[in-house]
Amino acid sequence: MSETHHTADTQSPSGESRQLTRLAACNLSHGFGDGVVLEDISLAVEPGEILAIVGPSGTGKTTLLRLLAMFEPPDRGTVEVDGEDVWALSDDQRLALRRRIGMGFQTRSLFSASVSDNVAYGLRVRQSWGERLRSAIENVVGRRDPAPSVERALETVGMADKMHRDARSLSAGEAQRVAIARALAPDPDVLLLDEPTSNLDPRNTAAIESAMREARSHGIAVALATHDMQQAQRVSDRTAVLLDGTCIESGPTDRIFENPADDRVRRFIEGKLVY
Amino acid sequence: MFGLGDLNLTYLVSITVVSLYVSTVAVLLSAAIGLPVALTVGFRDFRGKSIVTSIISTGMGFPSVVVGLVVLLMLSRSGPLGELELLFTPEAMIISQTILALPVLVSVSLSAVQSVPQDLRDAAFATGGTSVDVALLVVREARYGIVTALLAAYGRAISEVGSVLIVGGNIVFSDSTSFTRTLTTAITVEARKGNIETGIALGAILLALVLTVNALGARFRDRNSAGGNR
Repeated sequence: MSETHHTADTQSPSGESRQLTRLAACNLSHGFGDGVVLEDISLAVEPGEILAIVGPSGTGKTTLLRLLAMFEPPDRGTVEVDGEDVWALSDDQRLALRRRIGMGFQTRSLFSASVSDNVAYGLRVRQSWGERLRSAIENVVGRRDPAPSVERALETVGMADKMHRDARSLSAGEAQRVAIARALAPDPDVLLLDEPTSNLDPRNTAAIESAMREARSHGIAVALATHDMQQAQRVSDRTAVLLDGTCIESGPTDRIFENPADDRVRRFIEGKLVY
Repeated sequence: MFGLGDLNLTYLVSITVVSLYVSTVAVLLSAAIGLPVALTVGFRDFRGKSIVTSIISTGMGFPSVVVGLVVLLMLSRSGPLGELELLFTPEAMIISQTILALPVLVSVSLSAVQSVPQDLRDAAFATGGTSVDVALLVVREARYGIVTALLAAYGRAISEVGSVLIVGGNIVFSDSTSFTRTLTTAITVEARKGNIETGIALGAILLALVLTVNALGARFRDRNSAGGNR
């Protein structure tokens, strides 16, 4: 059963007030070469909600998330943060918006460093070069303690006890949890997760779903791309169904799963629409 | 048996210093030029990229005497850089060694840079990194390969004979101190003169230097790869 009734506070985990952010795709179309991957997609992820973007593999979920994360401009349409077209802004303005978004990937994406260094990466790149130099020197002489937000992010995914481990020694599930902590540490307003639990065991899946719920409780807008329909039903408030690169239906998760308007969505949910 | 008691210590030390100076500066220059090139080629997709990488790889097989000849023509009095009056100086040797070490350094570090998974670059970008941050991360992730590139370039530079002989002139002052004589060129001279014991001593020094540099590189790799994958 999805959780459609929740109250999002507007405080970040550090206790500071959060800027509530709405991230939207407006009439997005995108392709690679001659192939069209996304066709006229419009959807938005609102503050304090989890939006599940579901659909079979290869339907464009990852491409959609990458466009929302501003990896590249769409062929047509706009990506908007609080109504502002991000590709109409200067590089610096877009970087500032990009830094309000965190992202977790499907594949193993940890750097060859300790767990805490991985999680601190987003904080480090936001520092001035002078601060970075000072941190690097402190790191060499062994005086640097992890930032409080690094510890908090690791606690959120239940990995605080492995803070000093080498990231390369982690299991796949642990690595995925650390990657999500890395996305959470800079305290983003939006969290994009691309199939974060595919091939993970139930314990790691539960830890990641718990982190999503906690992010939502702090007013973070969470977009989750998944082909796991049960997961979408468990955690999301709203669901958007992508088939063949188009969003054929979106709405409250309960309604989508119990009474879908589109017959293809019904068949997909029932596992009868085979690709 | 050869006796080593008659070896001229001043001669050996000065030749070693010239070898180290010329090779080290050449490798540093190669790194300063080559690493940005490797990063640029590794990061960008452009038309003719495969041709560029082929040319770089081909450069690893440049015959050193040909490089020496080209540098000689460039630096000779009537050449385009003749006014600099660098011919038969350590600086001329540095130029030729840089040209020889550069393709090795670029090729090996390019391969290291390209082996960093795209997922890591994406993660750095998505965590708020700028293009400079992503490039720095790639260098950090490719550090073992880059160290290997530096070692390979150093090996190419310090063991070089032909081009340094042509552009350096193999000059030794009357007090037996070296001006442009290196360990390798000294070995050829001493062997030709029949001073086998001196040649062996120079060869031992050269091997010891190469071994030391490689041991330092291996130590760096071992220390940093202690984490391992699970």
